[in-house]
Amino acid sequence: MIRPLAGMARVGLRFQLAYRSDVIMSVVALVAQVFLLRMIWTALYGGREHDPQGLTLEALLAYLSLANLQAFATTPIIPRIAHFRIRTGMVFFDLSRPTGYLPQMAAFQAGHTAGGLLMLAPAVPVVLLVGTITPTEHPIGYAATLALGYVISVMMSLLICVIGFWTLETAAISMLYRLVSHFFAGTMVPLSFFPGALGVLADALPFKYMGYVPAAVYVGHLSGGQIGQAVAVEVGWIAALAALLWAMWRRAHRRVVIQGG
Amino acid sequence: MIRVESLTKVFRRPHAFSGPLGPLRTLLTRRYDERTAVDGVSFEISAGEIVGYLGPNGAGKSTTVKMLTGILTPTSGLIEVDGRVPWRDREANARAVGVVFGQRSQLWWDLPLIDSLRLVGDLYDVPAARFTGSLRRMRDLLWLDDFLNTPVRQLSLGQRMRGDLAAAMLYDPPILYLDEPTVGLDVMAKQAVREFIAETNRLGRTTVVLTTHDLADVEALCERIILIDKGRVLYDGGIDDLVTAYAPPRRLVVELADDETRTFEIAAGQSIPELIAQVTAEHPIRDLSIREPDLESVITRIYAESGR
Ligand SMILES: Nc1ncnc2c1ncn2[C@@H]1O[C@H](COP(=O)(O)OP(=O)(O)OP(=O)(O)O)[C@@H](O)[C@H]1O
Ligand SMILES: [Mg+2]
Repeated sequence: MIRPLAGMARVGLRFQLAYRSDVIMSVVALVAQVFLLRMIWTALYGGREHDPQGLTLEALLAYLSLANLQAFATTPIIPRIAHFRIRTGMVFFDLSRPTGYLPQMAAFQAGHTAGGLLMLAPAVPVVLLVGTITPTEHPIGYAATLALGYVISVMMSLLICVIGFWTLETAAISMLYRLVSHFFAGTMVPLSFFPGALGVLADALPFKYMGYVPAAVYVGHLSGGQIGQAVAVEVGWIAALAALLWAMWRRAHRRVVIQGG
Repeated sequence: MIRVESLTKVFRRPHAFSGPLGPLRTLLTRRYDERTAVDGVSFEISAGEIVGYLGPNGAGKSTTVKMLTGILTPTSGLIEVDGRVPWRDREANARAVGVVFGQRSQLWWDLPLIDSLRLVGDLYDVPAARFTGSLRRMRDLLWLDDFLNTPVRQLSLGQRMRGDLAAAMLYDPPILYLDEPTVGLDVMAKQAVREFIAETNRLGRTTVVLTTHDLADVEALCERIILIDKGRVLYDGGIDDLVTAYAPPRRLVVELADDETRTFEIAAGQSIPELIAQVTAEHPIRDLSIREPDLESVITRIYAESGR
């Protein structure tokens, strides 16, 4: 059971490394984005020490850098891979393996993320510096919320892969997902700034666990009981998504068509 | 080894709407389009056979192969492969079959060939020693050494196909489904692929179901063919029997002095010298030849009679 998944993870990693130049470009974009956000938010604060939410400018800048770094590192590739393979009928081979389709995809994603982190490593000091990030007081809370958030993100992207078996077309859904997930993850604006209904919505959706929650834990904006509560809700999301995935996959499996002949 | 009974597949897809909201409407619609791709096909194949599964474009060959592998669920009918129902016992069936689709590849496009082969070794949990042995055999038989470390996207079609054959056979499956494994290959590459298939069948008693539009593949490899059209079996039996039973008449082809070519059918029992004498008397001829019926003319005739 382990060996097939390790094999898929290795291919995911190699796949990521094969697109080295893409990653370098995105890292440049990432650093630029963090830099721009820093300029905008510094101007918005206009010399004030604190915002109404009690976040210092320094903490906010650290938050933005981290949230973007996280969102970048955890953006899933598998919806794109699955979309391509379903459209071309190559998914035939994924389905003809003795290992399940979803575990294969999840393992590929894990390897791909690992490859991304490997290449991101040289950029981390730059982002940390630009974002003036200092060591956190909640390393365990940070690691836990982030790891669980990553699992949620992978499961959501598996959901998109499964939807592809119905629609045979997920390019639009993937793009929408990317947009919505980054926005509600709070990569531009911390969730605590979202007004009224938008704030309620952002709080209810699971996207915050990929950006806002871990980053807020890191900078100390969330602490103590809030961390424990976040972890509990994340575990709940994972259980719910697992059930949903299982049910949807059973149905998708039956309606598989392999395009082209 | 393989038993198929009254196998039928009707594709029933939600009607595909076009336009910007098309995908959404397709998702919600109750309108369906139906198409019967395989229509009551039955056959049996014993272990160690190489069977040509032939038919014109759209006959339902690939659809049958997809059902044999267990990926596609039949609308009705029965398949048993080595005592298993493929779509119910997918995992065990997966370990027992290797598949090559000439039109698509199982190799990872952006990675060196060897990476995809290693992945296959991992996915099927092939012990390291056996993997090395298998790989060495594939490298020799399919001349993989030149491009083992080349990204698949840089391979020529023939090289890629050889890579795909290797991937399908690395875990020594007792059954091989080959759907157009020689499509687009040059004569040499076709020869290499045919030899590989023959060798695999001979050494491992691998059962092979071969789909192809190149009848030379069939003549080189198969003793038996199953001919289908519009999802139904037209013929199932030996190639020799088929040629005898359906053989069209031999033909006399003459090239006239004014570059025109004329064909005369030679009726059973007709004297060929007499026919030639008669033709030369009427036309000034430059060259003549006699065409023997071959598998191609036989199959063309069967397709024509089945209403094409
Ligand atoms: N996913 C699908 N949805 C709807 N119809 C399909 C689908 N796949 C195949 N068909 C139809 O089923 C029929 C049989 O297709 P199939 O691919 O099995 O033909 P084939 O014998 O392999 O032909 P070829 O020699 O051209 O490869 C065709 O009429 C095709 O249009
Ligand atoms: Mg076909």
